[in-house]
Amino acid sequence: MAPIKRVVIDILKPYEPTTIEFAQEISDLKGVKGVNATLLETDHKVQNIKLTVEGKKIEYDAVKTKIEDLGGTVHSVDQIVCGQMVEEIETPQD
Amino acid sequence: MSRIDSLIRELRETRAAFGDEEVMSISRRYFVGNGFDGTMTSIGIAVSSYLSGVPDGATVLMIIAGAAVGLGTSGVWSVWEIERAEKQAELKRIEDAMLRDLEETEVEERKHAGRRVNAFMSGLGPMLGILIPAIPFAFEGVFLSMLQAAAISVFLATTLLFLFGVYMGRISKQTWYKAGFRMGLAGVVVTVINLFLPGGAQ
Repeated sequence: MAPIKRVVIDILKPYEPTTIEFAQEISDLKGVKGVNATLLETDHKVQNIKLTVEGKKIEYDAVKTKIEDLGGTVHSVDQIVCGQMVEEIETPQD
Repeated sequence: MSRIDSLIRELRETRAAFGDEEVMSISRRYFVGNGFDGTMTSIGIAVSSYLSGVPDGATVLMIIAGAAVGLGTSGVWSVWEIERAEKQAELKRIEDAMLRDLEETEVEERKHAGRRVNAFMSGLGPMLGILIPAIPFAFEGVFLSMLQAAAISVFLATTLLFLFGVYMGRISKQTWYKAGFRMGLAGVVVTVINLFLPGGAQ
C-alpha cells in the first residue's frame, strides 16, 4: 500500500497543551517530517486547529492516538496524499 | 503503558510543571502564605520559650520540630485535597467543552503534576519558615545563651519575612524594599505582642 505523505486534519483541542506543543509533539512522531498548525477558531475553553502533517511514511493511527493523548479530538480528515505528490488542477466542477 | 513508563512520564510532567506560570502562580501563593505562618509560629515559639523559662535550646528544637511536622503536613495535605477538587472541576469544564473524556491524557496528567508541585511548595514554605529561625537554638550552650539564641532566631525570622516580601515585590514589580518592609514588620509586631502575653513579662 502506498505510504501516506500528507494528512490535513481538522481538530478540536483544549488551550493546554498549547498549539506549539501540539505541533512539536506530532512532528516528533516516526515518519513525520514537518507539521503546520493553524488556528481556525478560538472558543471559551477550546480551539479549532488545522493540522497539516507531512512526511515520507506517516502512520495515521499514531498521529490520531497522539492527538487524543494530548486531549484533542479529530473532527475530520480534510486531505490525504498517498504515494507521489499529485498537483491539484482545476476541473469544470470547481 | 508500563509502570516504569508511567513513572517517567509523571516525573517529566512534574519537572515541566515547575516551568508552568499558572502552576507556579498558585504555588507561590501557597509557599509564601504558609511560609508566613511557619515563620510567625517560629517567632512565637522562640520568644515564649525564652520568656517562660525553657532551660535549653534542645527543648526548643523539639517543640519546633513538632510544629514543623504539624505545619508541613498541614501545608501538603490541605493543598493536595484543595487542588484535587479545583483541578477535577477544571478538567470537568474542559471535558464539557471538548465533549469527551480526558482521563489518562496529557491534559489530566498535567493537572496531576500541577497538584504535586502546588502541594510540595505549600509544604516547603512553612518548613523553611519554621526551621531556619530554629538554627540558633542548636548552638545554645555551645556559644550562645538562651537570650542570644532567641534574639538571633527572631532576627532570622524577621529577615525571612522581609525576603518573602522582596520576592513578592519583585514578582509584582513593586518597590522591593517597601514590599519587604511590610512583611518584615509583621515579625516585629508578633514579637512585641508575645512580650506582653500572660507570662511574657515575668
